[in-house]
Amino acid sequence: MTSKINALTGSGGVAIEGDSSGILEFQSNGTTVMTVSSDSQTALNRIINGNMMIDQRNAGSAATVSSDYTVDRWKFQEGGSGGQVVSVQQVTDAPVGFSNSFKLTNTTASSSITADAYNMFWQAVEGLNWSDLEWGTSDAKTVTISFWVKASIAGNYSFAIRSSNNDRSYVAPYTISSASTWEYKTVTIAGPTSGTFNTDNTKAIQVAFTNSMGSDYTSSGNNAWQSESKLGATGTQVALTNTINSTWQVTGVQLEAGAAASNFEYLQYGQQLALCQRYYERIVNTTAQAALADTYANTAGSPVPTINLAFKQTKRAAPTMALVGTFSTSNTTGSQIIFSGENTFSAYFLAAAIGRSFWYPNASSGWSADSEL
Amino acid sequence: MYKKIINMLGNIEANVIQRTSDNAFIPKDEDNTDYQEYLEWLAEGNTPEPADEETE
Repeated sequence: MTSKINALTGSGGVAIEGDSSGILEFQSNGTTVMTVSSDSQTALNRIINGNMMIDQRNAGSAATVSSDYTVDRWKFQEGGSGGQVVSVQQVTDAPVGFSNSFKLTNTTASSSITADAYNMFWQAVEGLNWSDLEWGTSDAKTVTISFWVKASIAGNYSFAIRSSNNDRSYVAPYTISSASTWEYKTVTIAGPTSGTFNTDNTKAIQVAFTNSMGSDYTSSGNNAWQSESKLGATGTQVALTNTINSTWQVTGVQLEAGAAASNFEYLQYGQQLALCQRYYERIVNTTAQAALADTYANTAGSPVPTINLAFKQTKRAAPTMALVGTFSTSNTTGSQIIFSGENTFSAYFLAAAIGRSFWYPNASSGWSADSEL
Repeated sequence: MYKKIINMLGNIEANVIQRTSDNAFIPKDEDNTDYQEYLEWLAEGNTPEPADEETE
């Protein structure tokens, strides 16, 4: 229950209801616009890219994955002996007010939901962005997660949170009432007073949406903190992977302090991209960066010029670096990264022989810096 | 598998290790999850490939 201040249309006026919850909803003709409680904060959402808008890795292209990051900050993992094959993609099908959603499609159905089967779409929240919630202490605060979800098969699905080292888990079932229809869900979770929840630049919690989970991963009790590492709700769940071309989509994921869900916290595109780049960044341009490195090699195998580039965002930790796309080269034998730190990296190519040597990234090519949790 | 990298500018070991499966360069930072996997791999008794030598 909540207290409400509701601005009416039609006959007009303001309707006011009061109760003892300590939570106040501001409504426009019955639709909640804002919720205020003692836990309310200005920056609401602890989930980054909850509206699935940023997709640095795939730019909206479909990918077949068993364990990989998809849209920024979100990772999909599937496994088990059922044999399903899953395609994931950022798509533009979304509920009103959103531009994108994440979509998974089971391109090859599993033969059965084996005990070791798992399908999870998850994001880890960094401890520096979670420590104020005091999880694992007697002051642990309540949180609420809200999201829009759609699936080709109606029924029960699962949402889960696990602690830093998986010594605690909380699994909540949610029900999709109508197939192929966007539905809004909320889950309120009392903060755990024990368990390991890191408060530094490492993982505090893992937030996961799961389906078709095998019995190895079934919680011993729904809607309660358990001293175990489980991801699927107990009780009947939809075996989504048993149906070829079945789909599941989600967007508008918001995890906030307090016992009630607020409207989704929209950030400007650049703000959201910057938050994502703390964990993953592509150093690329849409045009070739000609004449980036050009020099005369005095010996074969010597480094031809070293470049030092700064990241756009300080990374959570020194990132893993990789080349992206293709490079134009002359008189080179290979490339190397020789330094990776939180703010900069250094790279060079090796000269094949004495003489002029140059290299530069082609269009949409360069490097990736991965510092995910 | 992994391979050591030499920074030829100073002929010293670089602060990264190369993962040969995808040629990614992993920094020696214990908060990096890829480096954590490398340390586990080392703890299992494995040894990285030596770095290439500079050609004169």
